[in-house]
Amino acid sequence: MSSGWSLWVMSLIVFNLGITLFLFLWGPRAKIPTLPDGTSGHVWAHGTLREGIRRLPRWWLLFSASMFVAGFVYLALYPGFGNARGMLGWTSRGQLARDVAANNAKLDDAMKGFANYTVEQVAYDPAAEQMGRVLFDDNCAACHGRAGKGNPLLGAPDLTDGDWLYGGDGNAITTSIHDGRNGVMPPWASLGEDNVNHLVQYVLSLSGAPHDAAMAAAGKPLFATCAACHGADGKGNQALGAPNLTDHIWLYGGSVADIHQTIHDGRQGHMPTWSPRLSDDQIHVLAAYVYRLSHPADASQP
Amino acid sequence: MAYKHFEAIEKHAGLLGILIAIMVSIGGLAEITPLFMEAHSLKPPPGVLPYDPLRLAGRDVYVREGCYLCHSQMIRALRFETERYGHYSTAAESVYDRPFQWGSKRTGPDLARVGGKYSDQWHRLHLMDPRQLVPPSNMPGYPWLAENKLDAADIQARMRTLRRLGDPYSDADIAGAPAAVQGKTEMDALIAYLQGLGIRNEPVPKSTATPMATSQGGAP
Repeated sequence: MSSGWSLWVMSLIVFNLGITLFLFLWGPRAKIPTLPDGTSGHVWAHGTLREGIRRLPRWWLLFSASMFVAGFVYLALYPGFGNARGMLGWTSRGQLARDVAANNAKLDDAMKGFANYTVEQVAYDPAAEQMGRVLFDDNCAACHGRAGKGNPLLGAPDLTDGDWLYGGDGNAITTSIHDGRNGVMPPWASLGEDNVNHLVQYVLSLSGAPHDAAMAAAGKPLFATCAACHGADGKGNQALGAPNLTDHIWLYGGSVADIHQTIHDGRQGHMPTWSPRLSDDQIHVLAAYVYRLSHPADASQP
Repeated sequence: MAYKHFEAIEKHAGLLGILIAIMVSIGGLAEITPLFMEAHSLKPPPGVLPYDPLRLAGRDVYVREGCYLCHSQMIRALRFETERYGHYSTAAESVYDRPFQWGSKRTGPDLARVGGKYSDQWHRLHLMDPRQLVPPSNMPGYPWLAENKLDAADIQARMRTLRRLGDPYSDADIAGAPAAVQGKTEMDALIAYLQGLGIRNEPVPKSTATPMATSQGGAP
């Protein structure tokens, strides 16, 4: 605030407190002309209502005085009187920094402990699980669902099965959260409608789903293009995030219409980058929580 | 001043009202006027740019549909807010918001830094019908946005108006608006606006550059 506006605020405070304090101090001492009948002579309704005279009660005076004291003490300690910073030097940002530091100090021991262990080991720590659940609900549940079951509308994978696009060990999960992932299935509409339909049937045949054998056979040679990412046997490639087509797990749905859309229009699933929002410690705990979703029992423990 | 003067105040409601108004307005004059006047001299920090045409159109859709009634864009300097939403908001971040979208009520979450938190596709599905992604959500769907095409001439008029108010749009910016919104729907515009919220305008702490400053936002 410029010094001009600071003076403006100060003068308003002085004006306001000056008037009210004057009235407070002067009121009880004011000389009030009193008529013989004990009223002030102020009348309303042609004399029906007359103003009696009573001193202010002591409790009211004390209460009011304490309010003035509180007001002056506040202005002395805290910012408020123009640009004056107050004797405590309090700011809301300073308060936030202290709160954050106090909270970090509380979490520090636990977080340092987690950092010493791998994601797979942290996954079975009850405190880490509790923190991970909060982070998951706040950040991941919007796409993957609160139970981690995923959402085929988005192509958000089910995190509770053992099927992984980019790998399911602790490091791969950490990387997926930290850097995000971008699906790059190109559209194959250029192959022509017939060929797309043949490929749909062939893809269905890979997982042994009901399919049209003749159409699948016609699609088989076309799959050479797909094999670049999904592999010749259709088992996918975790280095590229190409899904395994031979299991019964479908990212965007496994109906003929769904698969047709996937091949015809392509799919560009997008997992956001979380490193700007979450600290490395938080991502570590979160990765452990995600790891546990598909590994409910601790295999390393006897 | 003597006691007799009070009889005039007690008996004339008009005079009483005027004096009450003066005393009550002191608070507003002290708290609102300086901030209001100084807001006009606020300089945009580096990284805070005027809305490009598509985001500007999205901002206007946001205002028209009343998103501010349930969503704030104001992260307060309180730990439980910064933990969830990110760095607290500053006044300088809103210099190009006319009117500002700070809001006063949260039925849904704060959106000040929602940019890049979800994918574009997530926003599209969520705006069509929030419950297909978030089953307990009570947010209404906005499916008509996907059908309404943007009007380039209208957006150019808005940009010229904002330029008159001081936003630094160049002639080239305004001339480029039709190309920028060609074939786009109100849904595209709103998503572009949401994906830009809080991206690259987070205040930089003194010690280290914030990682948010390098965020790539909501691509693709």
